[in-house]
Order: sequence, then C-alpha cells, then structure tokens
Amino acid sequence: MSESPNPLEEGLSLRRTPDPCVLVIFGASGDLTHKKLMPALYALMVRRLLPPRFAIVGVARTEADDDAFRKDMKEAVRQHARDDFRDDVWEELAANMRYVATDFADDGGEDKLEQLVSELDAENNLGGNRVYYLAVPPVAFSTIVDALGKRRSGAKGWTRLIVEKPFGHDLASARELNAMLEEHFTEDQIFRIDHYLGKETVQNMLALRFANGIFEPIWNRQFVDHVQITVAESIGIEGRAGYYESAGAIRDIFQNHLLQLLALTAMEPPIDFTAESVRNEKVKVLRALHTPGPKSVVRGQYGRGYVEGVEVPAYREEEGVAPDSMTETYVAAKLFVDNWRWADTPFYVRMGKRLARRETTIAIQFKRAPHPPFEETSAEGLRPNVLIVHVQPDEGVSLAIGAKVPGQGMQIRTVHMDFLYGGAFRTAMPEAYERLILDTLLGDGTLFTRADEVQEQWLLVDAIVGAWQRDRPGFPNYAAGTWGPPSADDLLHRDGRSWRRH
Amino acid sequence: MSAAGLERWLGEDVALADVGNAMARLRAESPVEGMRTSVMTHIAWVPEPWIDKARAALSGMGERHPSRTIVLIPDSDAGTNRIDATASLERYAIPGVEQNISSEVIELRLLGTRAKAPASIVEPLLISDLPVFLRWRGEPPWGAPELEQLVDLTDRLIVDSTEWDDLPFPYSHLVELFERTAVSDIAWARTSRWRMLLASLWPGIAHVRTIRVRGTAAQAHLLAGWLRSRLERDDIALEHVEAERLEAVEVDGEPAAFPPGDPPLPSDVLSDELDRFTRDRIYEDAVRATIA
Repeated sequence: MSESPNPLEEGLSLRRTPDPCVLVIFGASGDLTHKKLMPALYALMVRRLLPPRFAIVGVARTEADDDAFRKDMKEAVRQHARDDFRDDVWEELAANMRYVATDFADDGGEDKLEQLVSELDAENNLGGNRVYYLAVPPVAFSTIVDALGKRRSGAKGWTRLIVEKPFGHDLASARELNAMLEEHFTEDQIFRIDHYLGKETVQNMLALRFANGIFEPIWNRQFVDHVQITVAESIGIEGRAGYYESAGAIRDIFQNHLLQLLALTAMEPPIDFTAESVRNEKVKVLRALHTPGPKSVVRGQYGRGYVEGVEVPAYREEEGVAPDSMTETYVAAKLFVDNWRWADTPFYVRMGKRLARRETTIAIQFKRAPHPPFEETSAEGLRPNVLIVHVQPDEGVSLAIGAKVPGQGMQIRTVHMDFLYGGAFRTAMPEAYERLILDTLLGDGTLFTRADEVQEQWLLVDAIVGAWQRDRPGFPNYAAGTWGPPSADDLLHRDGRSWRRH
Repeated sequence: MSAAGLERWLGEDVALADVGNAMARLRAESPVEGMRTSVMTHIAWVPEPWIDKARAALSGMGERHPSRTIVLIPDSDAGTNRIDATASLERYAIPGVEQNISSEVIELRLLGTRAKAPASIVEPLLISDLPVFLRWRGEPPWGAPELEQLVDLTDRLIVDSTEWDDLPFPYSHLVELFERTAVSDIAWARTSRWRMLLASLWPGIAHVRTIRVRGTAAQAHLLAGWLRSRLERDDIALEHVEAERLEAVEVDGEPAAFPPGDPPLPSDVLSDELDRFTRDRIYEDAVRATIA
C-alpha cells in the first residue's frame, strides 16, 4: 500500500514541497545575505514554502556565535523583508539557524562546518540533502568548492551548489571556473544565479510570447523592424569601485542580464518548460548572436552631472576609481541573431550607470503600416506600433497603437494600451531571490544559467572587448543624468532609427 | 482594506442604460485618474438577510480582483416593480506606481417582478470576453428560473454550503449543476488545510472506518465524502459534532493534529475561489459521495 500513490493528494493545491535539507550560506556576513537571501528565506517561511525540516548555516570570516548571527539576521529581516515581521515565523526560521566562523583557509574550519552540518542533519533527519550558496567573491570559489568536493565522497542525499555572478572575467576564466566546479559537481547540481531570470516580468516574456496566439506569428523579421533592450540605472557604483573597475558595464550587465533578456526575447518556442528545453533554446540564440563590428558597439563613461536634481560626481571622481580610469559605465550595441527568424533584424541594446532614470525595458518595434490611406498630415503624431515589456519599474506590458483623435477630420496619434502587473494582479510580486532559492531547493534549473550559455555569452564579450584594446575613447563622454554619449544616438541614426523616447 | 477613492451614484426606478451612463460619468468626472483594469465580472446574488455579510466579504475584493461587481438584491415581495441602483467607483493605489486602478461596483435592488429574470438584467452589464463568477448567498432555489438563468451565464458558481439546511440532501441538487458550470464551495475550501493534513496520514488512513468531525455539517459531510470518493470506499462512517468552524477531526478515535497556521478570513477564501477557473473534479466526487 505504501508504494501506491496517495489518492488523497490528488487535487490538493499542494505546491511541490522541497525535501528536507540544510542551506549553507558562504558569505553570511555580506550585503547579499542581509538584503536579499535572508529576507527571501523569511518570505518563503511566511508562505510555508520551505521544507518542513530545514536548517540554515551561515559561514563567514567574522567572529560570532549562533546567537549573534541570529540577532544579525533578525535585524536584516526586519529591515529588508517585504512582509511584516512576525515573531512566530522568525522563531520557526531561526530554530535551526547556526553559524560557523572560518575563512576556509584552514582545514579546521571546513571540518567544523562539516561536523555542524552532520549534526543538524542527524538531529533533524535532513536526509543528507545540502544546498551550498556561494555568496562570496569569485576568488574564494575554488577554496570552498575544493573543500566541499573533497568531503562529498559517499555522501547520501542530494547536493546543490548556488553560484553568484560573475561567472568568470572572460571566456578563459569562465571555462576554468566551470571546469573547477565540474570537477566536484555535475551540471545538474550547479545553479548559476542571474537574478534577472527570477523576476516575474522576465518570466512573463515567456507567457506573453508562448501563451498568446497573436504575438508569435508576427514575432519575426517580417513584422519586427528592430528590438531595443534598455537596462538603465540612475545610481552610480555605490562604493563598489573595486569590483566595477575590473568589470565595467559590459561584464556587470551586458554579459549576463542583458544577454539573458535578449535570449528570452529571440528564442524559439521550447518544446516544454523543463530546464533543458528552455536552456537549449536560449543557447541557440546566444550561439547565433554577433555584432557586425567595432563600430556597432559604443562605450561611455559618465562625467559630472545631475541626477534627480542632485549634482553627482564623475565616475573618475568616485572613491576607489583611478583618476584616469578607462572603465566603461555605459555600453550600447547593435547585435544580430543569425537565424531564420531574425536575419537582418537589429537588436539595439544599451545599459549604463548614472543614466536619466532607472528602467529596464524590452521594446519590440514593428514595421510601419505599409500604406496608411490618410493624408500625410493626419498621421504626423503616429509612430510605429511598439510592444514594450516593462521589466522594472512599473512592471507590465504596453502596446503603442494609432488611434483617431476625436473631432472633425481624421487626425491620428499614438496612444498606449497598458497592462500593469500591479493593476491586474493584486498580490505582491515575489522577489527574484525567493523564486530562485525555492527552485534550487526543488532542483529546478530552468531559471538558472547553464555552463554553455555562460561560455557563449563570454565569447561575444571577448570579441567586443578585444576590439577595445586598440582605441582609447575620450572619457568621460556623457554627463550623469543623461541617456549616454552622443555616439550611442549616432549608432541608430546611421540606420535611420532612434532610441525610444522616454 | 479601504478604497483610496470612491465616487457614488444612486438612482431609483432606473433603466440599465442609466447605470452604464452613470458609471461612464463617474469615471470621466473622477478627480483621480485611474486605470480601468478588469479580470472578471463578479455577480453576487444576495437575498436581503445576507446583505451585511455579503458586503463584508466583498469589501476590498475589487482591489484584489479588479473587476465589475454586480450585486443583485432580489425582493420579489416588494409592492412595486422596478430597479433601484447604486453605482460606485472604487479606486485603489497601485503600490510603487503613481497610478490608481478602479473597480466598479453596481448594486441593483430588483423589486417585484424585476427579480424574475435577472439574467436579462445582468447580461448588458457583463464585461466582454472576461470570465463571469456568480456568488450565490444562502441555499439556491433549486430549479427556480433566476438560478437557472444565472447559472447559464456564469463560468463559475460559488456557493457556501455551510449556509444550507438539511445537509446532505441539497447536494443532490448541486450535483445536477456540475455539467453546466464549474462550482466552488466555500465550505469545501475551508477544509483544505485539514485535507492536506489527512492526506499526510497515508497510507494508514486508507483503512479508516469512522471519521468524527467537529465543525459545520457541510464540512463534516464534505470531508467524509472526500475520503469515501478518494479511497473508493462507501463504508466510511461519519460522526458529526456541530460547531461553528472546523475544530477537530478524529480518525477511528485518534485525533488528527491541528493544521498549522491560522484559518483564512472569509474574504481570503472568496478571493482564492475567484482565482480558480477549472472544474474541481475532486470536489464534485466528494459531493456525489455525500449522497451516495
């Protein structure tokens, strides 16, 4: 009887419950843990989405004990969680929350961790299931992964490893990193987080395209004039000069978030919504992606300017940035996806810091109506149809259409039909990390980046960056609070197009 | 949760066109610009004794499910034949966005003979192409024209069999509607936490002989019906101890643990039912098993 399926479960709105497990967070004293991971775990606990038996172990160099760690995490939840703080929920989450202070440079720390995790496992019957979250700088990856790998032999239960970006610095280092990870973990055990994929609106791109019969037939070169993807931030580098100086906009945003958005926009319909099917289609797009040459890529760096009425310093004046830094804080590019669907259809992408406002959008601009039978002046206010996916803020979808202005005669202008997520669906949107942590606990890799995707992304970045070695643009070349350097406008003007108005 | 803004229009002895015009005027004249976003038409059939409870459950529903809500208050014994109407626009701020959404609530008092053909009153007010949910307060008048008409209009009928007398007999009438529209039962929804808990007792629970339920009659019958239908056994006995809410379940004398968390509020239960679109075959089987 126990082997037969439980007929009482049929029809119950049972979300798949993750197996009991322990989550080990390396970098537990860091910003990511405070601002994202712990609030996400709290939100999952509020919604009873965590496994019935669950333990958390924080690992960091900072000397502290279990109580101090719990107190610190409690404060983080109070400050950053999207739900009201409830003592009963917190007590449940904190019941099996422990801390290990180690820098992993000595075997003692690794053994201490292993011993603690084994104890928690035995006490709570966790079945040997473990999730290791590397919320640490990449330089620490190999030490930790090596140590974990060496202690895994013969371990029972499942093991999953969450890796935060950056996944390497270029193709060679990404391959090295992947090889190092694969030495101890198989691909289905590795969960590379690109938190953009956890955003509801990004996933809605798949719903929009593949759940609606009206879009897919026109989602191609015949009807689409071009695509514009914008990932704009109004903030600067927020004290992260050490990282940003070596990364720049191309590694910080382009290599990961932006190319993922592009892949979801351009991919073919997957045969199903499993991790492998979705990632197979994305990687095909990344393989087909190219930029027609150095002139199709623009880089910029912000100078002084005004953001929201406040004067802000130039990038080179930010603390920790070299006064002659050549790091780009802005990239715009014209890309092509060389396949049957998108041949000769440009994908214009731009991303940068200290731009006029925070905005992430994907805009599909359709071709003009072939022969509007109106007088020329009637349609002066008419622009081509644009379908805009607002990833953030104002999450939703807009369709720009031409409509007659009421009154005598035939005056046509562009109006927006808006679908605003917060308007139609009144439940609070989950944070990306909630979805991604839960998916990891469930072993669902659909919203994570596969090794071959990462490598294809780096291949393109390396090609772009390689060309940058030969010239030295006059930085800064755009004022903070603007939409980037004039050369970015020229990139589209040369094709008889322009960036979307805001 | 209160509306961020609310405008209201009242009319006596109205034509439906008056209601439509009033609603358009409310939208046009509103001092606050609001998006008109709708995901459904929500009809509530609310006989007089249920008005207060219905208003409480509907309060804020427009915020969770932006919709046009049409509350029908029948009074066929009124000495006059007419429709009195209240139309109001409820506006809710969208968090993090400088916009409001508006929900429309139309309350129609169907007096005298005007209560006889409610479908003809509702039909012109439905929002095209969106699902229609019908919440019926109290026990439906099985076979009566008003029920028959409205059932044919709706995609989902929502009842609360806790509000019915002489259970399980009325379920035999409800069964007849299953092929015509999807049915939700608030009483059934309220057993979900207990069903999950009982499901966790598998496989031992497969041999249950008697289930003792302290709760409403509806919950007791539905839980027993559920076990009978899922386990494909018609020999499971029910012992029912009346209580206002589902408080305890015993399986062959063994008390089941109390499910974790708090019981949902009435508006939360209704809200969840408004998110469902397909037939609930498990519920239908459970209802059939209550009267087998």
